[in-house]
Amino acid sequence: MEQRSTNTNFDAIVIGGGHNGLAAAATLARKGKRVCVLERASTLGGMMAAEAVTDGVDAAPTPPRLAHLLYNLNPKVERELGLRVQAEPLTTVSLSPTSQHVQIDGSRALNMDGSAHAQATAFSTLHDRLTRYAGLLSRLAVQSPPKLEGAWSDPDTFSELLSLGRLGLGIRGMGKREMREFLRVLLTNVHDLMVDELGDGPLAGAMSADAVRGAFSGPKAPGTLFSLLYRLGNGRGKVLAPVGGMGAVVQAFEDAATRAGCVIKCEQGVARVLVENDRVQGVELTNGERLNAKAVLSSLGPMATIDLAGLAQFDVETVRRSRKMRAKGSVAKLNMVLSALPVFSGLPTALHGARLLLAPSSTYVERAFNPVKYGESSQDPCLELFFPNAKQSDQPQALSALVSFVPHTPAGGEWTTETRDRVIQRVVETLEPLAPGIKSLVQQAELLTPADIEAETGSPGGHWHHGEMGIDQILNVRPINGMAHYSCGVAGLYLCGASAHPGGDITGAPGRNSALQALKDGAL
Amino acid sequence: MATTPSKTRAPRKASSTAVKPAKAVPVGLIPTVFQPRLEALSTAKSWVGWAGYQSPTVIDNIEFEYFAIRNQSTLFDVSPMHKYRITGPDAETMLNRLVTRDVRKIGTGRVGYVLWCDEEGMVIDDGTLFRFAENDFRLCCQERMLGWMLDAAWGFDVAILDESDTVSGLSLQGPTSFSILKAAGLSAVETLKPFDLAEVEPGLWISRTGFTGDLGYELWMANDDGLALWDRLWDAAKDWGLRAIGFEALNLARIEAGFIAARVDFQPILTTLRLGRGRTPLELGFDRLVDFEKGHFNGRRALLRQRAQGLRTHLVKIELGGFKPADGALLYHRKTKEVGHVTSGIWSPTTKRNIALAEFNAPYGGRIQDDLWAEIYVHEEGQWDRRLVPVTVQTGPFFSHRRARQTPPDIY
Repeated sequence: MEQRSTNTNFDAIVIGGGHNGLAAAATLARKGKRVCVLERASTLGGMMAAEAVTDGVDAAPTPPRLAHLLYNLNPKVERELGLRVQAEPLTTVSLSPTSQHVQIDGSRALNMDGSAHAQATAFSTLHDRLTRYAGLLSRLAVQSPPKLEGAWSDPDTFSELLSLGRLGLGIRGMGKREMREFLRVLLTNVHDLMVDELGDGPLAGAMSADAVRGAFSGPKAPGTLFSLLYRLGNGRGKVLAPVGGMGAVVQAFEDAATRAGCVIKCEQGVARVLVENDRVQGVELTNGERLNAKAVLSSLGPMATIDLAGLAQFDVETVRRSRKMRAKGSVAKLNMVLSALPVFSGLPTALHGARLLLAPSSTYVERAFNPVKYGESSQDPCLELFFPNAKQSDQPQALSALVSFVPHTPAGGEWTTETRDRVIQRVVETLEPLAPGIKSLVQQAELLTPADIEAETGSPGGHWHHGEMGIDQILNVRPINGMAHYSCGVAGLYLCGASAHPGGDITGAPGRNSALQALKDGAL
Repeated sequence: MATTPSKTRAPRKASSTAVKPAKAVPVGLIPTVFQPRLEALSTAKSWVGWAGYQSPTVIDNIEFEYFAIRNQSTLFDVSPMHKYRITGPDAETMLNRLVTRDVRKIGTGRVGYVLWCDEEGMVIDDGTLFRFAENDFRLCCQERMLGWMLDAAWGFDVAILDESDTVSGLSLQGPTSFSILKAAGLSAVETLKPFDLAEVEPGLWISRTGFTGDLGYELWMANDDGLALWDRLWDAAKDWGLRAIGFEALNLARIEAGFIAARVDFQPILTTLRLGRGRTPLELGFDRLVDFEKGHFNGRRALLRQRAQGLRTHLVKIELGGFKPADGALLYHRKTKEVGHVTSGIWSPTTKRNIALAEFNAPYGGRIQDDLWAEIYVHEEGQWDRRLVPVTVQTGPFFSHRRARQTPPDIY
């Protein structure tokens, strides 16, 4: 009996074993709390979970199932949790149909022969500037967004003002000209800035594509520069390939949680969050078992979390905002097995392992976005390609591709084998002129549409960031007005997933911040 | 140039074939089903827009109409009230999340006075909730509420039907109202206690409710049955002194009864534009209608915070010195500090007192009730004078009579 009670009583339960759930759990456990992580799937990791299934091909390489690269891991999270992530910086190549590919290494832009790109200086200036802005804004990512509700004398409000003041000083400290530029571009669209500074070509295309990947917007939409800054926030624009694949990153988060003393249970779906007297009591699992806890942190989006705790526990406005939250996925994941490494014309063999972008111009990206508004996939998609095993160039290859833009649900109905195949075919046809013969190398292809991603990971709308990172859904209004401080109304119930501030990407920040807020609130 | 346009104009109709002038649409408002009768009775021809419908302010004379409420009986057309039908297995749960009191305690065949709030605890509107059956309710209120009801119903297994334009209502109020119903063959209402509700004939629901604080009933029927019922009441009322009334007389009675009116004594929060103009049920003095123990309801957390931190204002009943109605008067503490204003003020014809509903800034009107004054402007033959009259905070209603509660009611 004694044994049983210790196994079912916790200070906190974390729903979802994605990286944010694990970060939240580890943060709480490091403060001495008894924490249990419940994951519905058989493996941890959420959107960077496990490898794609490649049954039927002998010794086939396995592409990462969803996320394939790391570029925004929050250094504070990394340090606090003692994450042991080894990763190598990856070069980006922006592919051009005329083989005038551009190599991008941080702020350097090079032609394929190693000479400086015609826009190299402009690009370097712009990139440095944007990463500087991003660095300033990223300070906001490691704390709950400012409430500014109390009086000046209120200690919480005072410290919020202080930190905003520091941000203000940071902005002012860049000098008058830079401050003006920062304020000018902050809410603008990425297309105009790129085309103004770089002209419209593979460089502008690459930046625009990075800005809107995962978003339900084209680069001409206001606020898209902000999403680029967000992406640049933590890595100064570096893109990293984790040693050992994304599985190693999941392992690092899992290790951090386990080291801190968390209990982690997979294949444990949560049926209900138990609430009594407006306070969380624990959860009931799908197998009927009850676990008690003073706090429940949910990696799910607001609506799914509300459903678990019961609609009647929440205000009408909260439910309305949650169900109206903008979360339409626009990226599909294409996992392919190729019999050999394809050869991209004009691309040196050594660069086949780079992050390959197909976004030859910002206009191309905008045009690729247009059809998704009407529930159709791009005829000419934007692609982010990665061959994880490119170094073993004589071996069969895995190709991991992010395909923009693909609707959550196609116009006129559900996804069918036929509509999926059509997307796969369009991708292969788009690549064929760039890498002649790639079509014949394809042995296996699996497309995960936003609808699949939602079903598999619980991400609202299958959205890459668990909710659009628009100006209307960040900071104090992320995920929705009234939930910005991770608390969901019911005492002890918190959001800890990417739908919460600061937002998506593999940062670990929402999970960590949520845990700290719960501790600050004295919820457990 | 001046002569050419006439050529392009359509030829005028010859005067011999002139069409009849279009029937005038009075003040651009929709007539209720009772308008033909009201029109015939009206000598004042004083109409006002109420939710898009034509509604009388006065039919004949305010004094006659008011005294009929207290001494005979009156009919007031309440058809323009917004009416929402809530049905389905989750109706009780959904409504319990909507309103501040415990709907589970409003039994079948009962009516409850309810308030509902936004997430900040500010009152959206007040109204009466009719429970026809376990899973069948109607909410009657002043403000248009369909959007809010649909939002509040989202995710629950309920259907919301806007009956505002299909159901008519008559408010029969006054000491002889029961006698009239009895004479009209509706003596089934004899056993109705205050806030009881019954379907006395197929399609005719009668509730013992009203806005006058007196004996009275509200009769609800499909639009098509409206006129027949009006005539039936009117015929039965010959010996009982029935009078059709307008809003002005009713307003005097409701202030005497101490009832609040939306947009007058409080501003429905969804209609306000300025910050801080909303009021909570606690500030309006309805603590007893807020059930913090029943589980979650909209605005509960905000109201708990307010209860802990203190109210901003108090809406209270006051009696004032003198006899000049104090509507809109500013209120002072120690004759110097402005601490509130009158929201509804009248000379009460029945109680012969100068009465009002007033909003004070806390703690005035609440903890501090001494030394309160109202500033009244008096105009006498071209000369304005300013007087400070003493203010006393009241508890119960100004007008209260045992006949309002007695069951079965006496025949007057």
